[in-house]
Amino acid sequence: MLIGQRNTTNYKPLTTNYTTPYKPPTTNRKPKTTMGYVAVKGGTEAIANSIDLVEFYRIKDETPPIHIKQLQAQFRLAIDKIMGEGSFYAPEYGALALKQVEGDVFEAAFIMRAFRATLPRMYYSAVIDTRNMFVQRRISSSFRDIPGGQVLGPTYDYTQRIIDTRLADESYEQVQAFLEQFKARISETDRKAVTTFGKVIDMLRAQGLLKGVGNRDDESEEGRRLVDITREAIKFPAPRSARLQMLARAETGGIMALGYSSMRGYGGVHPTVGELRVGLVEVNVADPSGRSRYIGRIRVTEAEMITKAKTGKKSERSAGSVPYYAIGYGLCFGQNETKAICMGILDRAMRNGTKDAPANDQEFVLYHTDGIEAMGFTNHLKLPHYVTFQSGLNNVRRAVAKSKKKTEAKPTSPTSTPANGASGPSAGDAERMPTEVLTEL
Amino acid sequence: MEQNQRTDYILCECPLDNLTRFVNDLSDRYQPSLLKAPRLCLTMIQAEDSVEYQPFYLGEALTTTCEVAINGKVGYGICLGDEPERAYCLAVMDAVMALNDAQAPAIDAFLVEQERLIQRRDEDEFSHIMQTKVDFKLMEQS
Repeated sequence: MLIGQRNTTNYKPLTTNYTTPYKPPTTNRKPKTTMGYVAVKGGTEAIANSIDLVEFYRIKDETPPIHIKQLQAQFRLAIDKIMGEGSFYAPEYGALALKQVEGDVFEAAFIMRAFRATLPRMYYSAVIDTRNMFVQRRISSSFRDIPGGQVLGPTYDYTQRIIDTRLADESYEQVQAFLEQFKARISETDRKAVTTFGKVIDMLRAQGLLKGVGNRDDESEEGRRLVDITREAIKFPAPRSARLQMLARAETGGIMALGYSSMRGYGGVHPTVGELRVGLVEVNVADPSGRSRYIGRIRVTEAEMITKAKTGKKSERSAGSVPYYAIGYGLCFGQNETKAICMGILDRAMRNGTKDAPANDQEFVLYHTDGIEAMGFTNHLKLPHYVTFQSGLNNVRRAVAKSKKKTEAKPTSPTSTPANGASGPSAGDAERMPTEVLTEL
Repeated sequence: MEQNQRTDYILCECPLDNLTRFVNDLSDRYQPSLLKAPRLCLTMIQAEDSVEYQPFYLGEALTTTCEVAINGKVGYGICLGDEPERAYCLAVMDAVMALNDAQAPAIDAFLVEQERLIQRRDEDEFSHIMQTKVDFKLMEQS
């Protein structure tokens, strides 16, 4: 840890390893009022003890250690969020990260992204096909009757948000009893062959009512370029592929806030859920011999947010110009519907062609919604800023002293007491106070 | 799904115990040599939006990869997750199948049996999911 230390007249160099020789202040010279600062080492032992202490707090109550498999199975949605924000699909490691940081999803996502950076990327998958998804949930708020029907799947949407006190004493026997009863609901005759579902947007598209947004920048060669933001620094305006990649790994709360702002009128994208689907998609890669290989399935959430596309003002429309719908697209790791929906809203908002609202501004959205970056920057404030703060403090002290001198030089006004007799701080107090406070600092 | 993809699908999705038991028997017969021990790596997942088909990178997935050789035939095992045993088994199966050995013990029967188990598992889950399908009725019908 580097700790800034005030340079006093008693200053002694901590090391002799200077690039320029150190010159001690001459004894006949008046100490400077402007201070110099040095960086010193320290705190190693305190840091080591702090790490032990946080570990102690994690386990001090001597409860049975939580097994990773338990976390993976019972904290599914937290792990999905961690994988999405860590941009790293690995449920077992998501569970481990969650355990390591006592359930802090931000920290866990940070750890996941850091771990990811230690591994070589050996494969690129073929484009995943969400039309062939093993659907676990799919709904549409645009149409009641959709191909295959509305399938609610596993969701807390329809539960009452009332705390379930029964879970406080949940036993293994209860778990077994529920599972037996649940599995018994499917008899041999009830068993259904797995099918895929047609997409809602394909119906609209077939009728010519749904098209691309028609954003000129996104239709250019540069706009359609497939960019990998982990390998190429982002520039604005960013190609749509870069925006979608950044949104897919954005922090859920961050994109929810901006998506919500747009729906509330700061940007004006208030879409309808064309289709929201959650399920498993196949991942295929080419092996070193070039053959296409199936390597497993990942759970994703996909949101197709339908909005009306602008066709310009009536006077500006060409003769054949008719209104149509377009979508904002959301896709993320795991089951994270809020994120996929807000990603869809922001994808659409950033294609409006204006920057008249935060949600429409690519740079604003993308630079402020990466949880790892935002959290890293926020938390860097906790690191020592002694040098910069002390420097600012000196300036303030000097200004206060100067102001005090000026005030003392002026004759005291007899009418300085408030007319209403309230016992608030006097003008003199107001000037003294900061000095006292600052001295304590 | 192509034949080798069907095989991969079965081997990636089947219970690990079943797979390791079967591959241990194969290993005794074919003596595979390990070219690259199972190791962790990443697969970048590519996706595309469903209207304009704009491709983009969704994020990376943990992957295990392994290479073995049997009688000069190289087998590659790749699967998602931290799955060293499965990756090794996949590589051995890939190499054995590349040999086209008519004497290869009952690979097809093993695959068919495992496929049946996977299908049953998926149908069970899907049947439960389909029980959450909404049966809309008009208000006056209720």
